[in-house]
Amino acid sequence: MVMHKKKHRLPKIDIMLIRMIGNSKGQFIAVMIIITMGVAIFTSLNMASVNMDNTVDVYYKQNNFADLFIQTVAAPKQKIKQLQDIKGVDQAMGRITIDVPMITENQNERVNLRLITTTGDEEELSRSTILEGKPVLDSESEALLIEQFAEARGIKTGDEIHVQIRGTQYALNVAGIVANPEYIYLVESNQSILPDEKTFGVCYVTEEFGQQAAGLTGSYNEVLISYEANADEEALIDDVEKALDLYGVKQTIKREDQLSNAIINQELVQLNSMAGTIPILFLLVAALILMMMLSRMVKKDKIKIGVLKSIGYRNRQVLFHYVKYSLTTGVIGGAAGAILGMVIAGGITRLYLTYFHIPLLRIEFYYSYLFIAIILSTAFCIISGLIGARGVLRVTPADAIRTETPKSGKRILIEKIPFFWKRLSFSSKMINKNIFRNKKRTLFVMAGVSLTYAMMLFSTSMPGVMDQMMNEHFREFQRMDYNIGFINPVHFSTVRDMEHLVDVDYIEGKLEYPFELTNGSKKKAVNIIGLSRDTKFYSFIDGKGNEMNIPKQGMLITENMAKALDVEKGDLIQVNNYIPDREDIIIQIKGVIRQSLGMNAYMDIDTMGKLLLEKNVINGVYMDSKDPDINDKLIRAANIATIMSIADMRNVYEQYMTMMMVSIGVMVVFSGALGFSIVYNTTIVSLSEREMEFSSLRVLGFSKRKIFLLILRENNILMILGIIFGIPLGFLMSEYSSVAFSTDIYSLDMTPSKQALVYAGIYTAVFVLLAQLVTYRKIQRLDFLQALKTRES
Amino acid sequence: MVILRAENLSKSYQMGEIEVKALQDTSFEIEEGKFIVILGASGSGKSTLLNIIGGMDQPTSGKVFLRDEEITAYNEKELTEYRRNKIGFIFQFYNIMSNLTAEENVELATEISEDPLPVGEILEAVGLGERKDHFPSQLSGGEQQRVSIARAVAKNPEILLCDEPTGALDFETGIKILSLLRKVNREMGKTVIVITHNADIAYMADRIIKMRDGGIIEDKINDNPIDVEDIKW
Repeated sequence: MVMHKKKHRLPKIDIMLIRMIGNSKGQFIAVMIIITMGVAIFTSLNMASVNMDNTVDVYYKQNNFADLFIQTVAAPKQKIKQLQDIKGVDQAMGRITIDVPMITENQNERVNLRLITTTGDEEELSRSTILEGKPVLDSESEALLIEQFAEARGIKTGDEIHVQIRGTQYALNVAGIVANPEYIYLVESNQSILPDEKTFGVCYVTEEFGQQAAGLTGSYNEVLISYEANADEEALIDDVEKALDLYGVKQTIKREDQLSNAIINQELVQLNSMAGTIPILFLLVAALILMMMLSRMVKKDKIKIGVLKSIGYRNRQVLFHYVKYSLTTGVIGGAAGAILGMVIAGGITRLYLTYFHIPLLRIEFYYSYLFIAIILSTAFCIISGLIGARGVLRVTPADAIRTETPKSGKRILIEKIPFFWKRLSFSSKMINKNIFRNKKRTLFVMAGVSLTYAMMLFSTSMPGVMDQMMNEHFREFQRMDYNIGFINPVHFSTVRDMEHLVDVDYIEGKLEYPFELTNGSKKKAVNIIGLSRDTKFYSFIDGKGNEMNIPKQGMLITENMAKALDVEKGDLIQVNNYIPDREDIIIQIKGVIRQSLGMNAYMDIDTMGKLLLEKNVINGVYMDSKDPDINDKLIRAANIATIMSIADMRNVYEQYMTMMMVSIGVMVVFSGALGFSIVYNTTIVSLSEREMEFSSLRVLGFSKRKIFLLILRENNILMILGIIFGIPLGFLMSEYSSVAFSTDIYSLDMTPSKQALVYAGIYTAVFVLLAQLVTYRKIQRLDFLQALKTRES
Repeated sequence: MVILRAENLSKSYQMGEIEVKALQDTSFEIEEGKFIVILGASGSGKSTLLNIIGGMDQPTSGKVFLRDEEITAYNEKELTEYRRNKIGFIFQFYNIMSNLTAEENVELATEISEDPLPVGEILEAVGLGERKDHFPSQLSGGEQQRVSIARAVAKNPEILLCDEPTGALDFETGIKILSLLRKVNREMGKTVIVITHNADIAYMADRIIKMRDGGIIEDKINDNPIDVEDIKW
């Protein structure tokens, strides 16, 4: 009968475990939270990453996103059709793309619109998705507007917009609002890393309108190609470029380099690497805490373990009793984290889609990640449990009877320096002894605080780094008020005409053209910028901070470019020139310069014109001007393609910064939680270990407050040491992330500022002190006299 | 019938730089169903002897037999089985689990033993029928020791090993515990071995083994064990 009854109940050893957890809820929850956070980050980032990947993939497929984009001077329709015969080419089509200023009511506003021709054909490459309005353009005066821009400017279907093309104003009727796979991330050029949806838009127009506007009849200035499955991309590009050579290939852009796509991919790669590293860090910390907790618990439970063994419990059963503790944190924390992660994943995906405009959203739950997450956290917890509780095996059943001899006290190192030791108060002596005797615990707390500090430092450095990046680029590196691009290149003397047109404080002509630079098999398409050698708008410095000037011959390239092409100062590289009748040339690199935003090469404007284009031409100007009507005046001028004010760019960054602060806040909370949990747990453990010691102190007349202060002082010393060691760790992490987060588009220098160091210290201290306050409550409730009554604490 | 036989047991261990001889060439036999008191001062070797009999420690040399089985030849797993099914321990400081109730503490042991006795009946027998749902902190020292006895007895072991069972109790409670042990011995026929330094307890035993310096100095049969109630110390 008893046997029958037993079957329906939990084994008593498990009931013991459950009650043990109940009695140390605080600790249990503190560890569990770390696991929950780690797992939540793991599942959410991974799922968001897969969801984003899939969403983008499906979108690209549905909309026939092209594999290759070739900018030409003018490629005839017939020739483009013939491209389809090239091996590997599935589809080839031509279109006209021109950047023009849009005329708005506010005369001081500079808005650029990219006009792209569309046939409205189902088969069209990089087809738009119609979100609103009608799918086909019935007349030349109708246009489809990209959603981000329309939204940002409050333009609706049926509204009229005005553009300035070659000095003539045209009115276009907005027939519909669209989304396009080429502009998921709406940026104008690789010089602008952040979207400014208010000042740059894309507008799809009829071929007739486009040809008229661009002055091209029967030909196109952009060719889009899609590949057949298993196409050999390099060979295909060679063939296509050869076929179009006569028509002036300006730039060939692979899908992977297409700006919007490249930015998305970078973002997804970062998301992926974050999904892989941060959760592991959390789980490692949780595992360490669990190990320490369990090893202390086993020490404390020596008699209990002895009794269990003397009753007849096997080693394995007793060991597993303790491993179950960590296993429970792993399973509950893992499950909670996985559920939380699923909830967050949808949110993260949606957040991404506020940056990336994709007219579809694939949020799917990948249960495999839940599975992996729970297995991962469980594995971590079992391993840490086994390591932490392995002391169980050393306890013999006879330990249930044997009375414990007091721990042998040893003199610590500084006691051997009597001069110092004698001057310490009794409390200080105790604190010092504790710190030095419990080396493992001391190291653990210190490591925890160091890690917390380093993570905090990373977060607090971020705003300064971004700010510095902006300042470096827009105040030190390039200093013009306006960057103006022309539609067609003009003679150098046009600079004089500009001075008549607007109030100019200072003006310089520039040449800016995309070329492909190659070193062996390494290729990179970038804008080469030609400047006068005594330019006042740029200051170049090399990696060591030495000033550099534009050489008469040769070129300067940016650090990220040198890295991408694997070249250094003095090396020769080839500049591939696709302009008709122009030969590819070999140029020497005269210096590698620092540039935080963008990837470029710089040459003397005369040399550049002579070698690569035509003598004495410019295709834009840089200028300083305080003319309030500059925009209005320039818009009306013929041949103006883009007007970019540096102030506008900066404003966009400022907006981006506020976004940044939110994610930094999240990081601070996460790292704070880590530090909190570590300090809280170690304090609780040391508290229960030293119950006897504190009880004796109570008997000696120490108040609870005094004992708390004792622990507080002890932990504060550890905290300060932890922060000190955290500084180099933080620098190391920054150095690593400088490399990890730098891209073609921007180069980060993550070296923390003094201010960041101080803030990270303050945040760390706040979280650590918070953990201490919670322990204060524990001390208040500790029954010190009870501890003295029992044989063993 | 002999239930337990020790042959030339010796045990020595290192304590710092000196070798301590806890047991020296000790032999004896114990009859089934008897109440035995092993008497000795601290350091006499009685705890070492108890550990070896209880399958918790191995002798340096010598053998111990339970009936015909040589337990000193057991490996660790067999020793665990032995402790689980053949031996019931009663400790000086009760050593019951603080976060289990009286009943659960007993079940902790019965759950793993082969042939346990009904827990409810045992708790009634030790006088804890009413207090079986109490936690140790709600029980007096004597009651806790009763839980400990119930835990040992409920496993239905061959031998009950008691290490100073009254050492932590006042006189009156101690007497009650001893009479409970006597009851277990008489009514259930269990062999009880009590280890103590308290010579007065010896008068209730069927047999008294006196130890000093790791050896037996006196081994006598007590033909007229006195009633527990008549013990005084």
